[in-house]
Amino acid sequence: MPVEIRPETFSLVHFDATEIRAIVEQLVEVIGLPAASVTIEVDETTLLAHAQVTSTDPIVIAVESGALEDPKVVGQLNATATADVLGKLLLSAKDRLDPAFGEAPADADLTLSEVAAWETYCIGRLGRLGHHVQRQRRLYQFRNRHGFTDAADAAFDALWTADGLTWADISAISNQATA
Amino acid sequence: MRKSFPVEDLARDERFVRVPLATRINDPRNAQAADSGSSGRRGAGRLTPERPDAPDAARALMHGIFVGEIQALEGAGRTCWDFEVGSGNGEGIPEVPFELKLDMARQCWDEARHCEISIKLSGHMGTELGEFSENTFLYEAACNPDPVLRLTGVNRALEGLAIDVFNTMREFGEVAGDPVLEFCEDWMLADEVTHVKMGSDWLRKLTADDKPRQERALEFQRVVDKLFSLGGFRGEEDDSPVRLARRFRELAGFKEDEMDTLAEIAKEAREEMEAIAEANRPAVAH
Repeated sequence: MPVEIRPETFSLVHFDATEIRAIVEQLVEVIGLPAASVTIEVDETTLLAHAQVTSTDPIVIAVESGALEDPKVVGQLNATATADVLGKLLLSAKDRLDPAFGEAPADADLTLSEVAAWETYCIGRLGRLGHHVQRQRRLYQFRNRHGFTDAADAAFDALWTADGLTWADISAISNQATA
Repeated sequence: MRKSFPVEDLARDERFVRVPLATRINDPRNAQAADSGSSGRRGAGRLTPERPDAPDAARALMHGIFVGEIQALEGAGRTCWDFEVGSGNGEGIPEVPFELKLDMARQCWDEARHCEISIKLSGHMGTELGEFSENTFLYEAACNPDPVLRLTGVNRALEGLAIDVFNTMREFGEVAGDPVLEFCEDWMLADEVTHVKMGSDWLRKLTADDKPRQERALEFQRVVDKLFSLGGFRGEEDDSPVRLARRFRELAGFKEDEMDTLAEIAKEAREEMEAIAEANRPAVAH
């Protein structure tokens, strides 16, 4: 599957498009994406860290440079963070492309709780695909959106270890945790 | 053991990486933030749970607190050691009253406890030690050879910033419903109020009969305060992630006009950061 990185050359950060492409190609292979192509649009003019899927077929991901940056070295790419951020979004894109997953709301319409629940499901799978993931960091994010309770922790575990969930499943687990 | 330990020689293991403040300030991407009306280094505004990136922003801030606690411990420890016991009132003489050393020893005890609490909080939040870069400007303020200037810079400016940060984190924990974060920050905040009050009290005592020295100390505090405002990261603007904790600063001995001045200093720091970003704009346009 063709993978395109935009821009090809970076001038404000020390990112290497070839390195990003290699990471994405590896992710695409292990995730098994059905899309025709993947494009990663990196906004190097901002140090903020927002990232989102702007199209699912072909897949287009818009990401601010801070999301891919090494938190210890200004302007340097961090391969682990890149795989974490882009892997999570590619898995969510794969979910949206799967008819069995069901119709999830548009990203802009998702609540913070729903975002945290879906991300937990994505990152849990990414970890099982062999990528380094931070379970406690994700649990903390999930607790912030669902409460610091045993029920929330149980919901987190259910999402983190799951495969083959539908949007209805994710939504129900999220809602139960906050009930 | 040598006196006045240089920042380059602080003991850190391989997990810790230092990034100078100038490197961050001169990042050409700050120009984009100026274009959009908010500083990228300040982030996406005030730290509240409603921010989509709030949990990660809190993690990064908590790591900053952790390395700040290490440096505060190192700074207070140095002050215990670097000066001889004496009246502390002499111009240019590196002497301090024994009671000041005792206060610094107590502060070391507090800071060591804060390090332990910060490590446990980092674990609670899913942060690995050394996950974020370290900036050593806190310790650098603790290297002033005049004990009065050092205490003013560290205990009034540095620990004053700690009051603002801990209060912000305490409120964040409270609103997010995180009892662990709220409880820990509340206890550390109480200690910081004491530390700032120590600085205020010693500044008054040691310079009671030496107004020029007092003025030098307060000027040093203003310099450190501007640095610690981090280009508007700490301030009273609506989008400042860390806000001045006026009530707690009052408890620590700050007068209303001093806090007004600090708010002005923070505003100046923000304007200067925006000017730097403006100067870097051609690089972005290119």
